[in-house]
Amino acid sequence: MQTDPNPKKSKDSPSNSDSTESTQSASPFPDDVLGKVLSFLNSDKDRSSVSLVCKDWYNAERWTRTKLFIGNCYSVSPEIVATRFPKITSVTLKGKPRFSDFNLVPQNWGADVHYWLVMFAKVYPFLEELRLKRMTVSDESLEILATAFPGFRALSLMSCDGFSTDGLKSVATHCRNLTELDIQDTDIDDFNGGWLSCFPENFGSLEVLNFASLDSEVNFDALERLVSRCKSLRVLKVNKSITLDQLQRLLLRAPQLMELGTGSFQQELLPGQFGDLESAFSNCKNLRTLSGLWEVTSVYLPVLYAACTSLTFLNLSYAALRSVEFGNLIAYCPNLRRLWVLDTVEDKGLEAVGSSCPLLEELRVFPADPFDQQLHRGVTELGFVAVSRGCSKLHYVLYFCWQMTNAAVATIVQNCPNFTHFRLCIMNPGRPDYLTNEPMDEAFGAVVKTCTKLQRLSVSGLLTDLTFEYIGKHAKNLETLSVAFAGSSDLGMQCVLEGCPKLRKLEIRDCPFGNAALLSGLEKYEKMRSLWMSSCNVTITACQQLAREMPRLNVEVMKDKESDDSQADKVYVYRSVAGPRRDAPPFVLTL
Amino acid sequence: MEEMELQLKLALSSNLDEGFDLNDHNEEQEYDRLMKKKRCFDETFEEIKNVQVPRTLPLLDHIDLCEEEDGVVGWPPINSWRKKICHHYHHNSRRGCTTPTNYVTVKNGCGGGSRSNSMYVKVKMEGVGIARKVDLSRHHSYQTLIDTLMAMFANEKVQGYKLAYQDKEGDWLLAGDMPWG
Repeated sequence: MQTDPNPKKSKDSPSNSDSTESTQSASPFPDDVLGKVLSFLNSDKDRSSVSLVCKDWYNAERWTRTKLFIGNCYSVSPEIVATRFPKITSVTLKGKPRFSDFNLVPQNWGADVHYWLVMFAKVYPFLEELRLKRMTVSDESLEILATAFPGFRALSLMSCDGFSTDGLKSVATHCRNLTELDIQDTDIDDFNGGWLSCFPENFGSLEVLNFASLDSEVNFDALERLVSRCKSLRVLKVNKSITLDQLQRLLLRAPQLMELGTGSFQQELLPGQFGDLESAFSNCKNLRTLSGLWEVTSVYLPVLYAACTSLTFLNLSYAALRSVEFGNLIAYCPNLRRLWVLDTVEDKGLEAVGSSCPLLEELRVFPADPFDQQLHRGVTELGFVAVSRGCSKLHYVLYFCWQMTNAAVATIVQNCPNFTHFRLCIMNPGRPDYLTNEPMDEAFGAVVKTCTKLQRLSVSGLLTDLTFEYIGKHAKNLETLSVAFAGSSDLGMQCVLEGCPKLRKLEIRDCPFGNAALLSGLEKYEKMRSLWMSSCNVTITACQQLAREMPRLNVEVMKDKESDDSQADKVYVYRSVAGPRRDAPPFVLTL
Repeated sequence: MEEMELQLKLALSSNLDEGFDLNDHNEEQEYDRLMKKKRCFDETFEEIKNVQVPRTLPLLDHIDLCEEEDGVVGWPPINSWRKKICHHYHHNSRRGCTTPTNYVTVKNGCGGGSRSNSMYVKVKMEGVGIARKVDLSRHHSYQTLIDTLMAMFANEKVQGYKLAYQDKEGDWLLAGDMPWG
């Protein structure tokens, strides 16, 4: 549905916020017309704007909102949400700060979905969708989910923890109308694959099934029967336990698939089986996304060639392909928009991308060997430049490398000025331009000056305050900034806080930013979702001051065991209408 | 708490006979360059091969120190799911080392940057699926280490094993040549 930027005004025309009660409708129910119009609004931003117009509009909006998006589960409480929005059918909740992905947040920090689910069970019996990211989810919570919502359809768990395959059993057993079960990047207690066999024999509504993150073997017969029954299945991502010949049988059952995650791509196949697999793939005319390919050996890559022409997203980030075999494969993928690879493909492989994928918009290059202190293989600045030359539509990059130059980055952004997401990780902390030995300031200066649409930036390498002066001065659309081992003084962080009007998320680690920097953002933090600062030079006293002066911010500090009493080793600041957390564990100090 | 993960590997002498170089698990060119600088495993164990001890299988310890620079937690910024894959990838197809360090295995709520005193070493025996872990910091001599390893692999035939390892420079050394420490 299109969002209507100019919704028709109701007969009680919106007036300024000073209008008296008598000119506004006293009824708690919205005007029919306004309600109908507002029900077309899907964007949260639009809905927020609408709700601020006047009381009538606020009411109309809250009665017509069905999708709830909460970017920080602690910014609001289940009670507040339940009171304001009576008709929610879809909830997205995000929990822990992003640096928890890198083990910077201890276990049992929080973001448990349980109390939310208890509330939802009470007030949203018609809940259909739940999407969680970086939340803790227990088996008990999954049990509630499975049994309290008869119409429940879609469950998506990304980077979540705390549950086991027992919880999945509950979901499979009880959710009669399930269309989506999507588990990503999730490290759970995988007792066995028996959960998959819990889908009833007459159950056939799945459209999305992703269990690639799970390790244990599922009952293949049960899976095959399930796939046959689910005629609307469009996304199937299996785990490593599924072999090539099993995959072939699944593809025969589901040639309509649009997204496929294969299992292990390494098996001794008989010649006949090879041909079967090849034709199974070529029969999948709707395939747009391909992932998995664990342990793929180059011998079997050709079975994919027929399916490659229609691919728009190829995720090879679990497959350690080398440049030649990768180059051969990528030549068959002219329609790629998104590509994820391991750096084993090296610069040569990226050159092949540049020449084969003119429509490429997103590239992510992950390190196969991120802790290799000696060889530093992988990709260099040359590969990145090569892609930028061939792919002018590139706007999203995540690039892990060991060396970079200012000149290369300048060339890259000249070739691709439309970057919205520029995430460069030079894996040696504080590494300068390896040719000139200068800081990488000019590189990121070029990025922010040229890429006016930049929304997300991750910086790395040796950086002085100059980088942050550039960012503050030019990155006017920047919403998310990640900084590590960079900067020279408080001035750096201050420039960013003062200069980036759209900044929502700022995450900093191991930088020489201290109290003055922290406190310079006093008024800014309420306009942001959150600030994370770890291993910087911030003291508890400064955090206390921040907490005192800004009561609508939650200021949380975690200390490392060996630091002295005054240091605030990890600081997490976020706006909240719910007040301080009530579930903070002992190691989280709320100031 | 940090764990420094080292990886030990046990290989069969028959592999030695074929000029098996522990490092060369694949045919990658780049490794050849580096391997030529290292004393080939064969040379090191010449004397052992010539000893007429039936079924004597050297215990090969392929230790590759995988300590991060400055013991940095959470760097490079790769999530634990992907780290598992890196680990798996190396385990199967590369030289069998370069295990990611501390934070992959630290699930004890620490997350902080402080060092611990433990030095965990993963021991893998060729042909045996399950690796064992031993904490080097608990041992003060090669003998106690060997005894512990023997006990851990009690199910397998470990008689007559010798301990060998590859140091940071890539040289093969027999345990006991250098003093413990």
